Amino acid sequence: MTLIIPLAVSGACAHPRTGAGTGGAVGEARATPDESCLLSTGAVSARSRTITIGLVDPVDPRHAPIGRNDAERIVFRHLYETPVRVDCDGHVRPELVATWTKEDGGRRWTLRLRDGAQFWDGAPVTAQDVVFGRGGAGYTLGALESRAVAVTFAKERDDVPPLLGDPGLAVMKPAPDSSWPIGTGTYWATSATTTPQEIRAHTSQGDTLVFKFAASGDARDLLDAGVDLLVTRDRALRDYAATLQNHEVVALPWDRTYVYVTAQAGGGSTSFDGLEQAARAEARRAEGDFWWRDFRACGIARDSTPPAPTGQRRILYARGDPTARELAGRLAALTHAVATGRAPDDFSAALAGGKDGGYVIALPRVTADVCRSAKDLLPSWPATFTALVDTRPTAIVRRGVARWTVDQDGTVHLAP
Amino acid sequence: MKFRTRLLISFGVVVLIPLLVFGLGIRREMSRSVTGQYEERVQALVNVINADIAREGDRIGARLATMKNSLKDDNNFRNVVVRGADRSYVLDYAGNAMRMSGLDFLQIQDDEGRVVSSGHFRNEFDRLGPAVSGTTLVRAATAEGPFLTLVTSDTVYITPSHRFRLVGGIAVDSQFLARLARDPELGVALALPRDSTRSDSGKLVVGPPLTVPYIDATDGPGRVEQARIEITRSSALLTALQRNVNLWFAAAVLVAALAALLLAGWLSTRISEPVEARIAIGDIARQVTHDVKNGLAPLRNVFRHLTQVARDKPAELPEVFAERQGTVESSINYLETLAANYAKLSPQSERKATDVNAVVRETIGPSGSVRTKLAEGLPPVSADALVLRRVIENLLSNAVDSLDGKNGSVTVTTEQGKGIVRIAVSDTGRGMSKAELDKAFNDFYTTKPGGTGLGLSIVRRLVMDSNGSLNVETEPGKGSTFIVEIPVQ
Repeated sequence: MTLIIPLAVSGACAHPRTGAGTGGAVGEARATPDESCLLSTGAVSARSRTITIGLVDPVDPRHAPIGRNDAERIVFRHLYETPVRVDCDGHVRPELVATWTKEDGGRRWTLRLRDGAQFWDGAPVTAQDVVFGRGGAGYTLGALESRAVAVTFAKERDDVPPLLGDPGLAVMKPAPDSSWPIGTGTYWATSATTTPQEIRAHTSQGDTLVFKFAASGDARDLLDAGVDLLVTRDRALRDYAATLQNHEVVALPWDRTYVYVTAQAGGGSTSFDGLEQAARAEARRAEGDFWWRDFRACGIARDSTPPAPTGQRRILYARGDPTARELAGRLAALTHAVATGRAPDDFSAALAGGKDGGYVIALPRVTADVCRSAKDLLPSWPATFTALVDTRPTAIVRRGVARWTVDQDGTVHLAP
Repeated sequence: MKFRTRLLISFGVVVLIPLLVFGLGIRREMSRSVTGQYEERVQALVNVINADIAREGDRIGARLATMKNSLKDDNNFRNVVVRGADRSYVLDYAGNAMRMSGLDFLQIQDDEGRVVSSGHFRNEFDRLGPAVSGTTLVRAATAEGPFLTLVTSDTVYITPSHRFRLVGGIAVDSQFLARLARDPELGVALALPRDSTRSDSGKLVVGPPLTVPYIDATDGPGRVEQARIEITRSSALLTALQRNVNLWFAAAVLVAALAALLLAGWLSTRISEPVEARIAIGDIARQVTHDVKNGLAPLRNVFRHLTQVARDKPAELPEVFAERQGTVESSINYLETLAANYAKLSPQSERKATDVNAVVRETIGPSGSVRTKLAEGLPPVSADALVLRRVIENLLSNAVDSLDGKNGSVTVTTEQGKGIVRIAVSDTGRGMSKAELDKAFNDFYTTKPGGTGLGLSIVRRLVMDSNGSLNVETEPGKGSTFIVEIPVQ
């Protein structure tokens, strides 16, 4: 594929929307990327056979297909496919599903799998692979025939819902000899192609995607080594990249909102000053209609009483998230509390317990499946959520190497 | 108590008391010396700590002075201050400056004391910082919790109307305190106002406490109070030292006492041997006198009797002489045997089968004043006849004396017991009280004018030598019965 496309930084990418669809009774699957979601990276005459993406966060294959940080989201996005993809403008794009048909006034949708869709091991993807063990609040999945999937909604829908682009619906199966589950994406990776320094993903056509970690701990080394893409939330790294001649610095959509979670009644009305300045990441005061404010329709069982506090004025955050640490520190300064970091798994356990003074958590600004996100990310006890700041990452892209696009959730990946 | 024992105790007392006093004196002097050395060391440490704190304050001040010059020349900082440019540069400024200057605490405060940049806690901006003047101990907040720091301050003018205060410091932690202490046996501890977590267990505060200005700035700017820097030493060390001193002192006293006792024993032996020999000779002399008197008394009586007969009835003299000849010969034999025994200086008794009744009759003689109740068919006993006679003579003599010349009776009774022959000498004399009975067998105790006080003592020893026993039944005013039991042959 040879395309020469003049690109500009997409202003739309900074304002993603939810719920926009293709419309129509029969979906016209648009395989070409939405031009507005392409990153401005200069003219691309031919994609390099080997592309390198720098990673500043750790990647654990056991988390697939739902990434817990920017690095995992990028890697998983290239390896695993969801039925559909939602671009930065909220348009539903075909991925594992090629076409869709609306029936019963929009309550029932029939999805047809892409011709030739297969797992990395060559096994064809069947409707059973898509529906097995999947489904969510407000919809059910069923296999009509070997390559047709029926989605039945509780309410009528005009457009095929973006929730089919939720990472939780990515199709994969366990690999007996690899820590990486077997996916259906163009690129594949195994334990044999994974080292502490890099993850190599290949295509059947011989293309290679190298995900390279910053071995020294300094992400500037990655840029100096010549990576083609690096996504960061570090303004210092962004400023450094701006000094490099062959790289373009592109602001990505505001994709994460940091939220202060407490068990205190009325905690949501608390005003905290200087939060945008407290974070070294690019941050703004949180704004929007937050999905976590109301998920009663999901029918998730919630505790009726808040947990008994331990009496410690301690604000917890997940270690490894510098923005969460900085915000927790600012809150500690303003409330005379103590900020304490926890390893991600320990933090999740503490959040579930809810016995600390408060928790700083990062939530996606938009989610394809509110109910799945609420179940995975929010505590079950009656919490008060105070939105603190929105942050957005920055893509540092080498000019003229490849075309990159961004999804609604802010994940950057190679354009089809 | 023997003379030698008394001498030994006297030696011990004479040697031990001065030794003990000497040892206690040394111990007190040691304690005083150690205390004096401690006081000198503590005072030296106080001076060192004062100098160290002043030096640390100067070092921090020098770094702040360098930083001040750099800050005045920093255009970015000036832009933010004067024109309100992106504040993030100022927010990050103190962190970078703190790392480069090697400080652990750095705040840049505006004219109102609000933190515009903090190195140790970036996100405490806009809070009121501590108002520091001079070298001060500050309890500062960080995101992860408070820490102690020794700070000083300086003032910088970015423009004539924009004045800032630089407050910089170094962490005061256990390593800092350990550096202050220097002396391995002394420690340095901080006593902060309202510090409920402080534990002094096992530590003794020595010397006068140092004070240093202190501000608790964890919940606001705080106010100036006084913190104490205390010099401590481990009570465990002191206890161990005292225990060692006491242990060695006790060991020294014990060894000295043992040596003194050995010396006293040797000396008392050397001194007491001749004295005890003289005492023994005196005892023997008194015993000889007593025994000889007992042997001579019958002879005197016979001669008085013969003299009386020769004067009043000369014709009966041969008959009376023949009659009393046995008494004379018996007394002479007694005296000869006595002399033979004393000649050996060790009166070994010669036990053989002895007829108790015969010895009693021989001892009493024809005296009409002593009654006898002698059992027939007594088995012979294993005893020296002479010893047995001395026993009976002594008991009879005492019994007759107890009558005090008044009417009364003295009775000698013999009877057979189980494996023994019992000889009882009873009188109806004055008897003895319990106090008298307790002392009756002591050497030289007598209630008789001119008595030697050896009679009963000798009787008891002789009976014991014969493997016999001696018992007394007495009642004041009613008389006494001395019961001797001698084993049969």
